[in-house]
Amino acid sequence: MTSEIVSYSMNKNLPITPQMKMADVIHRDYRLIPIIGRFGIDFGFGNKSVGEVCDENDINTWFFLEIVNSYHNPQYFPQEQLQKFSAKQIIAYLSSTHSYYKDVKIPEIQGYIDEMEKKASEEHTNNVKLLNDFFKGYVEELELHLEHEDKEIFPYVIELENALEEGKISIDLKKKIIEEPIEDYERGHEDVEVKLSDLKNLIIKFLPPVLCKELCKKLLTELYRLENDLENHSRIEDNVLVPKVKMLEQTILEGSGS
Amino acid sequence: MIASSQFLYRLGIKTMLSVIDIDLDIVELISLEELRSYQQNTSESYFVIMSEDLLHYPRQECLNELQQTNCKLMLISDDENGNSIPGVEKITNSDSQKEILDKFQDFFFEPKSTSSGEASTTLSEREIDVLKTVALGLSNKEIAEKLFISINTVVTHRKNITEKLGIKTIAGLTVYALMNNLITPEEVQK
Repeated sequence: MTSEIVSYSMNKNLPITPQMKMADVIHRDYRLIPIIGRFGIDFGFGNKSVGEVCDENDINTWFFLEIVNSYHNPQYFPQEQLQKFSAKQIIAYLSSTHSYYKDVKIPEIQGYIDEMEKKASEEHTNNVKLLNDFFKGYVEELELHLEHEDKEIFPYVIELENALEEGKISIDLKKKIIEEPIEDYERGHEDVEVKLSDLKNLIIKFLPPVLCKELCKKLLTELYRLENDLENHSRIEDNVLVPKVKMLEQTILEGSGS
Repeated sequence: MIASSQFLYRLGIKTMLSVIDIDLDIVELISLEELRSYQQNTSESYFVIMSEDLLHYPRQECLNELQQTNCKLMLISDDENGNSIPGVEKITNSDSQKEILDKFQDFFFEPKSTSSGEASTTLSEREIDVLKTVALGLSNKEIAEKLFISINTVVTHRKNITEKLGIKTIAGLTVYALMNNLITPEEVQK
């Protein structure tokens, strides 16, 4: 097991443990399939345990377990425990989640809407096209948000952590902490969440019956999955990453006597 | 329903209602007897604004009789220190114009406390007017000017629209308006 956090004490009542077989994790909750994939773990793990598979893939087992357990049961959210992991670990997970949205989930949903537009009867093409344009607008906003985090926020956080580890704190970094603290970035999620919820309501409540009913149901199901995943993702960013970064910022400022 | 024996009261109330853009059918009544007979003959829900001097003694009993499930009651009172009565809104003669308007807003727009909170889901004509302008991207101030209503009223309408439709963003409301042919794509592009 990775030695990074040797003395880690995890809640003993959690269903998914280091000794559990990785295959059984998926049998227990198939919604974890994309989460396990995000850690870079491929299928074919035979009878190996969670701990063994994590070791082979160079993944911190405890971090993996906290993430899958909290995804499995939304009531369980070990905010403080998660903050103990390195910013690099947390960010690696968040970044791979971003890639999953951009490369897998959004194209998948886009595919459903495009197909619906093609198959809709003439009188309904316009309505589906309206939904399609709305979804495209939503995706544009979401991608801007994700890109801002990937290109600005995450590198900044890693810079903070590196500076503390190496004890080299540049004047520029301190200036940045004072002028653009993480606090300014908080709550960028609401807008995108609201748009997604609007899209669901437009389909459920107001879209006149379309011919391709099955496609429409699939689309709706995937929108719910995306929403669920985004909620979990924002929860980690807002309640784990942001407080952790605030702590790093404060440590640097206090350490340098500012 | 406006119940008061005094013409000036009734006129004043009507004027105030027009300020907050209440376009309900207004019935004017001048006695408690008239009010009671109206109550017996209507099954729709309605609002009553009445002056206190119409009440018979004992007042509490008289009020209890008037309070029916489909009726929301507001009392105009001379006595600003009087006890408040559950389920009955009150304005007093010493209230300022703004206080009265605020109380009217609450009276007409807040869901009835006795109901299960189940709001109607169809939009009123006025809400559709507001929705059209929102969908075209007008600001609250522009909407207020265009429809001759106060900004507060615009905000209240928007809140109700959002609650009824479950759609919060302007882009979402635009899609709704287009789907229902409330506005045309050409109008949106302007």
